[in-house]
Amino acid sequence: MAALVEMKQISKVYPNGVVANRNVDFAVERGEIHALVGENGAGKSTLMKVLYGLEQPTHGEIWLKGARVEIPNPHRAIELGIGMVHQNFMLVPSFTIAENIVLGSEPRKGRFLDRAQAIAVTEMLSKNYGLQVDPTARIEATPVGMRQRVEILKTLYRGADLLILDEPTAVLTPQETDELFVAVRKLVDQGKTVIFITHKLVEVKEISDRVTVMRHGEVTGRVATADVTEADIARMMVGRAVFLQIDKPPVQRGRVVAEVRNLGYVAETGRPMLRNVNFDVYAGEILGVAGVEGNGQTELVEVMTGLRPATTGEIRIDGTPVQGQSARRIRLSGVAHIPEDRLTNGVALDASIAENLVVDRYNRPPFTRRGALSPRAIQTQAVALMQQFDIRAAGPTALMRSLSGGNMQKVIVAREFSAEPALLIAAQPTRGVDIGATEFVHTQLVAKRNEGKAVLLVSADLAEVMSLSDRIAVMYKGEIVGILENGPHLTEEEIGLYMLGLKRDEGARGEL
Amino acid sequence: MTKNKAVIEAIRIVAVVVIALMIGFVITAMVSKEPVQAYTALLTGPLPNLSFENGFAIKNINRFGNWMEESTTLILLGLAVAIVFKARQFSLGAEGQMLLGALATAVIALKLSIPFPWHMLLALAAAMTIGFLWGLLPGLLKAYLAVDEIVSTLMFNVIALQVFDLLLFNWLRDPTAGFVGTVPFPDSAVLPLAISGTRVSWMIFIMLAAVVIVWFLMERTPFGFELKMLGANRKFAEYGGINTKRVIALSMAVSGILAGLAGAHLSMGLLKRLTINLSPGLGFEGIVVALLARNDPRWVLIAGLFYGYLRTGAQIMERSSDVTREVVLIIQAIIILLITAEQLFPRFQEWWRARRNNEVAIERG
Ligand SMILES: Nc1ncnc2c1ncn2[C@@H]1O[C@H](COP(=O)(O)OP(=O)(O)O)[C@@H](O)[C@H]1O
Ligand SMILES: [Mg+2]
Repeated sequence: MAALVEMKQISKVYPNGVVANRNVDFAVERGEIHALVGENGAGKSTLMKVLYGLEQPTHGEIWLKGARVEIPNPHRAIELGIGMVHQNFMLVPSFTIAENIVLGSEPRKGRFLDRAQAIAVTEMLSKNYGLQVDPTARIEATPVGMRQRVEILKTLYRGADLLILDEPTAVLTPQETDELFVAVRKLVDQGKTVIFITHKLVEVKEISDRVTVMRHGEVTGRVATADVTEADIARMMVGRAVFLQIDKPPVQRGRVVAEVRNLGYVAETGRPMLRNVNFDVYAGEILGVAGVEGNGQTELVEVMTGLRPATTGEIRIDGTPVQGQSARRIRLSGVAHIPEDRLTNGVALDASIAENLVVDRYNRPPFTRRGALSPRAIQTQAVALMQQFDIRAAGPTALMRSLSGGNMQKVIVAREFSAEPALLIAAQPTRGVDIGATEFVHTQLVAKRNEGKAVLLVSADLAEVMSLSDRIAVMYKGEIVGILENGPHLTEEEIGLYMLGLKRDEGARGEL
Repeated sequence: MTKNKAVIEAIRIVAVVVIALMIGFVITAMVSKEPVQAYTALLTGPLPNLSFENGFAIKNINRFGNWMEESTTLILLGLAVAIVFKARQFSLGAEGQMLLGALATAVIALKLSIPFPWHMLLALAAAMTIGFLWGLLPGLLKAYLAVDEIVSTLMFNVIALQVFDLLLFNWLRDPTAGFVGTVPFPDSAVLPLAISGTRVSWMIFIMLAAVVIVWFLMERTPFGFELKMLGANRKFAEYGGINTKRVIALSMAVSGILAGLAGAHLSMGLLKRLTINLSPGLGFEGIVVALLARNDPRWVLIAGLFYGYLRTGAQIMERSSDVTREVVLIIQAIIILLITAEQLFPRFQEWWRARRNNEVAIERG
């Protein structure tokens, strides 16, 4: 019997000349969970957009159940039973869940939406597929995990047999991920087929039957999941052997570098974003900060780096109080910062690599001497750092804009690491960065720790926090609800309980 | 920017100018009985005529002079605007700073008597100082109170004009003159001539020095770096430790120095007195020059010469043909529109690309 979907020799060239897919063959069997993996920019989303009719292939054919089909738009895809859940959800925030699910093909009573019917439909779908939602809740008031279930139900409501989930776990907590996996299996039990995009290898192993691996727009592997290891998949993704496990010597705790005491921050809106936060970071350790995003991590980092003023409390770096100081003073007292939002904070896209590399030190020798800037010194440093940190670009004068996400991140890492800080604050340091660059950043962070620097690692990626940190502080609603020693005994589920606010150590609020 | 790109860029600008001039010609042809003569006046008017008939002589040197005078003012204003635009501060205060700069020179020139060159230098210093302060004020308002600089500088222009008129009418005016203006400045407070037969003064050298200094300031000083980073991404500049409030205030103040000098050029170089209606709107022509030059001081020099040429040629065309002022203005507007649209277009592309990147980034999140 023919495969459910077969994409043959698909090529896609974007108008800007990017070849996102090159002669891609891709086949999905009926009733399987098929993982589509690859680094960022590999072309996964593009391939799926072609299948869903959002993009037209430059070349190639799509076959469905043995027959050639044209999919000029998502409408046609939906008619053919193909549904797609994008990573950035496309729900109407002010509508209820039921309204969102039926939006576009509403049950009507006369000229009006039949609300009762919409709710009934939603409840039925929800029960059939084991996807818990509250039909009458407004989207804006529901957590991310539920929004995702709504997106899935929406495609099911439209009669999808084949569901494409584009990086569905990127925004979920471990518990939510587990729930999603249960739901996905249930969908398959009921005869659906699922394409599951991810770049987390653990998930590939856990959920999928078969894997297609992409790299640079081409397929580099097509295997049954059971036949390969995570390392095998990583190799296909990156094109070389990758060290997934970072070797860390046991922690050699030194002096206290950063002391945070009773830190509070109230946003302009009057909402308290940080409440009575207390912790220390020691030389030679990585303190991880875990938590569902939006629980105060961003504010914590910005307060500690001088980008926002603390409302209350104290921060000391090597004994010197720094709260209320300018960002420059805090940098001078030994704090470096890899910012969470690269494009807005970490780089100037229209400035050169060399300029981006001196933004914190341009006014000191050798970059400024006797009041005049030395382009030569700026250039020299850029060349050296580009080599040392393996930044791939046309040259030091290349505009930041021309770099890939991974190389942009390397520029930031190069700048912040070469500042020789006592405390390095790394916020979401590998977000949106591919495996190769992720590995690089991780090794560098551990190297700093081994050198005896203090590292504060804030990440929404729990696997990252767990594989790098010596201790893990968990934030929930602006508070630190627990500081846990990392080790083999500590499970994701345990941390997840803190992340969801289901568990807290009262001791965490006081002195440590 | 690489060499290659710069060449392509230059070719594109020249192409746009040629197209604009052609459209201008079509319009001229529609309204004029003698379009060719009119257009010749526009295109060649500002050039001096070299005559070899009875020995070598330069005729119409005054037209060439007009071009240089006009360009000197425009370049100073263009530099002023380039500084603030570089920092992405949309200050429109050059007009007011220029007026007050001219006013300050008049006060010094008429109310003090000191020997040359001290009198002249003091007058220049006064113009620069008042320009600095009149830029600093809206700069501080923007930096520390987040007052929109477009609004505040326009209001500061109005205030400057009122102060100018008030002092001129009630204090500086020569009551015996048949127009509203001061008596001529004493020679000790006038800029010495650089080209005889014209009004081209030492200000042309000051202007050339200003181009070099502003270039150095932008490209070779920490302040220039801060300006550039602020313009490229304010959040990034702050993250890097730059005191962006200080840079915002200073950029607008430093810009005012140059606008003040432009005012001094009008009073101490061209008119040698202060009059009412001191070239209204000239301050805004600096924006055109800065836009044409993409805020690069070296290009401000070239763009200022080009734009000055165009304005001088337009005046000559108006004087020497049946084409009226309105038509000249239309032609000017078309040229500016085409060229600046061409300037804005990459901005638009940039914006679009940024949006795209953003979307990709969100998707990758
Ligand atoms: N709309 C677009 N226009 C131009 N280039 C694009 C567009 N969408 C994606 N790309 C580029 O195509 C390549 C593949 O992107 P994508 O399919 O999103 O990869 P993935 O989903 O595997 O991360 C990347 O280099 C990306 O920058
Ligand atoms: Mg993608």
